[in-house]
Amino acid sequence: MSEAVPEFAKDLIGRLPRTFGPALKDQFQQWDLLFPAEQRSLRAQLHWLDELPRDRFQTLFAPIIAIEGKMELPDWQPGTVGLSVHDSGLLARSPLYPKWRVEVEKVFTEVDDAVEKSGVLPRPPRFLLCVLPAGVPLTSQPLWPELAKHGAWTKLDVPFGQMLPPLAEALAERKPIAGLEPIESTWVLECETKLSPLAETSTATVLSWAVLAGARREFSSKLNSIRRDLHSVDETNEELRRIDMRKLLSEPVASEPRVREFVRTLLLSGNGSLIFDNSFIQWGSNEALRRVQPQVMLSCFGIRQKIKPFSGSVLFEDQKRSNPTPDQDDPAGSLVDALMLSEYVYLGSERVTPYREHTLTLMAAADLNRVLMLGPKSMPAVPVSFNAAQLTAFTLDWLRSAR
Amino acid sequence: MSKLNLLGARVPITRRALFQLLSAAISHRLAQAETKGTPRPARRLVLITIGGIRRQESFSQAGVVHVPHLFNDLLPQSLFYPFTANEGVTSHFNTISSILTGVWQHVDDWGSEKPSNPTLFHYLQRQKHASPNQTWVVTSNKQLTANISPGVNVILAKQLMIEAVERIIMGQTSRQQLERQQILAEMTAVLETDYERIGWGVPSTSSFQDPQVKQMFVAALADFIHGANAPTSGDELTYLTAKEVIKRIAPAMLMVNFSDMEVAHSGSYSLHLGGIHRADELCHRMWQFIQSDPELAATTTLVIMNEFGRDPDGSSTNGFFNHRTDTECCRMAWSMVLGAAVKKPAIVEREIRQVDMAPSIGSWMGLKVDRGSGSGLPEINV
Repeated sequence: MSEAVPEFAKDLIGRLPRTFGPALKDQFQQWDLLFPAEQRSLRAQLHWLDELPRDRFQTLFAPIIAIEGKMELPDWQPGTVGLSVHDSGLLARSPLYPKWRVEVEKVFTEVDDAVEKSGVLPRPPRFLLCVLPAGVPLTSQPLWPELAKHGAWTKLDVPFGQMLPPLAEALAERKPIAGLEPIESTWVLECETKLSPLAETSTATVLSWAVLAGARREFSSKLNSIRRDLHSVDETNEELRRIDMRKLLSEPVASEPRVREFVRTLLLSGNGSLIFDNSFIQWGSNEALRRVQPQVMLSCFGIRQKIKPFSGSVLFEDQKRSNPTPDQDDPAGSLVDALMLSEYVYLGSERVTPYREHTLTLMAAADLNRVLMLGPKSMPAVPVSFNAAQLTAFTLDWLRSAR
Repeated sequence: MSKLNLLGARVPITRRALFQLLSAAISHRLAQAETKGTPRPARRLVLITIGGIRRQESFSQAGVVHVPHLFNDLLPQSLFYPFTANEGVTSHFNTISSILTGVWQHVDDWGSEKPSNPTLFHYLQRQKHASPNQTWVVTSNKQLTANISPGVNVILAKQLMIEAVERIIMGQTSRQQLERQQILAEMTAVLETDYERIGWGVPSTSSFQDPQVKQMFVAALADFIHGANAPTSGDELTYLTAKEVIKRIAPAMLMVNFSDMEVAHSGSYSLHLGGIHRADELCHRMWQFIQSDPELAATTTLVIMNEFGRDPDGSSTNGFFNHRTDTECCRMAWSMVLGAAVKKPAIVEREIRQVDMAPSIGSWMGLKVDRGSGSGLPEINV
């Protein structure tokens, strides 16, 4: 069970730069909705800062405080929690914003490096899989040419689509590793519903674009009603933050508060997660990697439908509802989208410390009988080819290996 | 129907009534203005700004495939500045205001504030006594409002289509489906009655209130909706509208903004590339259209600028989706100048800034952009 937010941390807020306050208070207020990895990381960062000698603390934050002194900041009151759209806009258009951002990144790099060196955070081996859907024209262009420079293609005895169900099942049902909570074990994001039953039979968390259709429609409908002013944007966001997600979601997602809130935040955070299936998979995967840090992450891309005449300009809309033109798949466009977005999932994992140098990554396509494997230098030698059982065994061995 | 309180009057007024009231007042003033006659401008500027396009999807070895017309057809006859830095806020409203004013702007990104310096349009109006008819903005971008240059005709063409589609979707009209005829009918209805909300601002006396010009616009809409190949793009509508403005009015200054590539914010890379291809083609068509008329060809300078790049692959801001990073990938744009102001076609490899364009093109038009902070570009005719 998660520990509560440490008391010393609340006092620490007053010593931090002003721009840190509202976001940090927001995290404290939602402490129980943070994932274990977020709580561990935040607690370790705050603990390190609290232990820092006063002069080093001041030196660390002095550049940010100096920049803040010259910036026009929102009129935050002591109790202000979170940043409104208006506040974010005011910060972002400040001439000093780029400098502020650079200094903030420097501070976080220093804090993160120090926490990492302390060894207090678990760093088990991890596995990431990105799968392109069946039916896309794979021969029309090279597959992940940039990533291929850093990995190796391995043959499969059958197309990967046939290997996926048993591999996913074995991964979802594997014995949990010591030090991680069940919610950190396996996450699956898929466009369809093929892997959704795993959520019933294992500790895997499965978010399906298709299953979430009701929630997406509700969010789209509310967002479509926004008038074109910032107040209306904030008001609608606030309304959607309060909406009872349990009524919009099905079990088991509905009954797990942290996953429920993850879905809410995901659908509210833009990046196409409400609009295109593959954007939902990419952005959802990257957010899960950043926040949940599951040991196993499966990201299964899908086929996007063609944009219908006149719907292209109103992308918040579910184009099935009002447009009488029959739906048509866009396999060629979906391939272009999914290739780029799956690469973004991989690049996103490389930005998260627990995955860097700790992750075996497979880039696969359902119709393809080879996979691109990427991993740390210490990864065991990869056989020239795999059958389904061998691939599953290789992956499970990797996840059990002491790192 | 929603109601407004006009200037604090106690009796509410409907939008339709307000529109009619304004129309009557403006028509009267226009009638007075028309009797004075307007000289045809000796120099004209068509400025096209395009949303965020990265170098890797445009002017790079791998990217030129997405901009074949800009690269093969336009670049050889242009002054091309491949390194044009955006040192301001990399948002749409601020960038376009900076280009128009020649000063880096830091105003509300959502267009609720006007730029804090005069725009090229204002210099033209004040120094050359140009009438509002001579200054036009036609734009696709949702974040541009009439505040981009108060006192100028601003047509948010794509907004009109979006508004019509949204009204059908939200059930705010008797029309039910997104079929061509229903959309056209709704667009015409919006044009007639919902002047306040659609955001195409006519903040000054403007020929747009002239029934003949409005009719022209409705006819153009009909052409667009019933045109070949089932056009789906807001930028095509913007192009068509801009072309109509040039054809009918041939103003001294017109700014056009294309933004179909901004679908990138929703994460479809293929549709983003499609938007780049479309902008490439529409820029070429605009140039061909200008060249097809001897008077326009002799007097017009076409400037094409992308607003910024986008974020790098692998960035924490989700790469091509956004344009927020302080990186070269996001900040380094390009500019192309074609036509009358070009001394000699050339690729200028030194780095320039987007705010340099206003004083340079301003000088060519005989304007003194005295509140601009940019430097003059010597390659441009004065």
